[in-house]
Amino acid sequence: MKILVVDDTEAILLLISRFVEALGHQAILARNGQEAIDVWRAERPDLVLMDVMMPIMSGPEAAVQIKAESGATWVPIVFVTGVGEENALADAIERGADDYINKPVNFRVLEAKLKAFGRTLDLNRKVREQSQTLADYYEHAEEEKRVVRHLMEQMVNSERLADPQFEYWLSPAESLSGDLIAAARTPGQALHILLADGIGHGLTAALNVLPLTQPFYSMTEKGYSISDILFEMNSKVRQVLPIGRFVCVALISIDEVGGTVEVWNGGMPPIQVLNAQGEVSRVCNSGNLPLGIVPSHSLDLVPERLYFKEPGFIVAYSDGLVEARNKQKAEFGLDALLATLAKSSKDSMIANVQAELSEFLAGEQHHDDVSLVVAQFGVDGLELNKAAPVETNVEKFEDISPQFSQTADCNWRYSLILSAQELRYLNTIPFMMSFVKEIKTLTHVQSDVFLILTELFVNALDHGLLLMDSKMKSDPDGMESYLAQRAERLANLQEGKIEIDLMGLKYKDSEVLKIRLKDSGLGFDWADTYNANDKSAIPSDSFGRGVTLVRALAMKVQYIGLGNEVEVYYMPPKAT
Amino acid sequence: MTPTVQIEGSVGRVILSGQFDFSAHREFRQVCESIITNPDIKEVLVDFQNVNYLDSSALGMLLLLKEKISAASKTLALVNCRDTVKQVLEIACFGKIFTIR
Repeated sequence: MKILVVDDTEAILLLISRFVEALGHQAILARNGQEAIDVWRAERPDLVLMDVMMPIMSGPEAAVQIKAESGATWVPIVFVTGVGEENALADAIERGADDYINKPVNFRVLEAKLKAFGRTLDLNRKVREQSQTLADYYEHAEEEKRVVRHLMEQMVNSERLADPQFEYWLSPAESLSGDLIAAARTPGQALHILLADGIGHGLTAALNVLPLTQPFYSMTEKGYSISDILFEMNSKVRQVLPIGRFVCVALISIDEVGGTVEVWNGGMPPIQVLNAQGEVSRVCNSGNLPLGIVPSHSLDLVPERLYFKEPGFIVAYSDGLVEARNKQKAEFGLDALLATLAKSSKDSMIANVQAELSEFLAGEQHHDDVSLVVAQFGVDGLELNKAAPVETNVEKFEDISPQFSQTADCNWRYSLILSAQELRYLNTIPFMMSFVKEIKTLTHVQSDVFLILTELFVNALDHGLLLMDSKMKSDPDGMESYLAQRAERLANLQEGKIEIDLMGLKYKDSEVLKIRLKDSGLGFDWADTYNANDKSAIPSDSFGRGVTLVRALAMKVQYIGLGNEVEVYYMPPKAT
Repeated sequence: MTPTVQIEGSVGRVILSGQFDFSAHREFRQVCESIITNPDIKEVLVDFQNVNYLDSSALGMLLLLKEKISAASKTLALVNCRDTVKQVLEIACFGKIFTIR
């Protein structure tokens, strides 16, 4: 140790410093309080041995100054006191001095005290180093969190979360959330909502849910079904996360055009379906393992399907909400959540749940991430993010058709022929949409093109090749058995072919899209009803709303030959 | 929580108690390690008799254990699950990949 020895008596100064040096320490000297401060400033000794009564400045005064200047570094100050200095000494110790030793100095005691201070100083240094390391570590962690938070905000596109069809609430337990809410629309305007809960909370939980966002957005945009998206998300989670890590997922698809809601629940709390009065009409329990545990092909990815005729709500939440505990260790619970929702108007549901939970917790922090999604379905006149409404095409198709009757006049052409082998597994329409997206004249009408293509393709496959009977759908459980039978026939399909042609035909300064679809099936007797160009002539319900929709969107729908070939002309409305 | 181990012949029983969450992960891992490396044990039972709470990181630990146990060619079962534990296991559909008795 480097020890500062302070005394105005030369003999004592010499005596003590020699002794200190004899013990193997380095001694530096000062002869009064002021000098002690100056030397301390210059030399920064580890310990100070100081007389109490000195000229110019006393020991206690110098001690106060040294203590004030040393800040976080601990400098032990030991007074060497004579008899009768007890008051000054007590005062000095109160103001920060550390110990004292009596005059005449007992060297055996001084040696012991120096050893004791040496040990404490070592300890002190270690603590300081560790706390410095800890502070560095903390800063580092905070910086990492900041980056991850930014990353998550970028990946979870909050613009798309602002949708009139649903409300959400997400409240992380720490600065990062392991719960994730994402939403996007398919080209056919079906709303996909993803609610995911990564294991634990904070940074690692947040990292767990990140791999989900990319397949969710990109595949939804291309029009993939939620089963396809789940397959991909599970593969991705398995690919990037270590064993023992998984993500609970609820994936919901609301299709207002088709009047269906699909729900897939893997490890999330039961998803509640409410009627317009806010009463529970159905519960979709978790029937699947969370994502990331087993390979995608061993997951059952078929969602629960609801056909709605009346408006209602879908409520999905993470366990952090119903398990939030107050001071008395009581849980908020599902009953409280449902009761709050039932008595709320549709615009105040989330706000009321927030208020109820915060009243219940009474200042207590929730220990896990809390998330809640309330989505509406079956609501008429809901302001959906549809493309600008189609302006009626003033020109009659008959008037303009001669101008592009020859296929040679097309700007571009995209042809595809699929045989049974490909049809069994290829998801054709999403696949073609990635092409359509790249055509400039079509980018703003992707939704229309998607709907027309989907309808024509489904008709060609279901009725042309698979010989399905649409009448089945009108039975009470018809849709389920229709889909089951369709899946079975598709799996066994051995023969058949579907040709698809997309053409961009030149017309004045714009472009008309011609879609031609031909299947190798037997066709149907179209001659009487189907080619009347009157759009209000809706065919009998065997063809349902699909064809009606195509007729409403297109300039002309024309069946050819046996009825297994159809041509549709579509003029994109001017982009607004 | 301090897990305890009982060995009866070729069966190793890991008895858990109280809260089974991330705070238990080090002790749980150590105990499981000792069972996995014991060549006499063929069947491992995780006993939830005294567990009143289970969270998602506990589920993660069980998945890890399952992985290691099958690598060591032993069998694994989760036993004596009470209602609250059963509920968590059911929501996660762990019945599909674990033997629960």
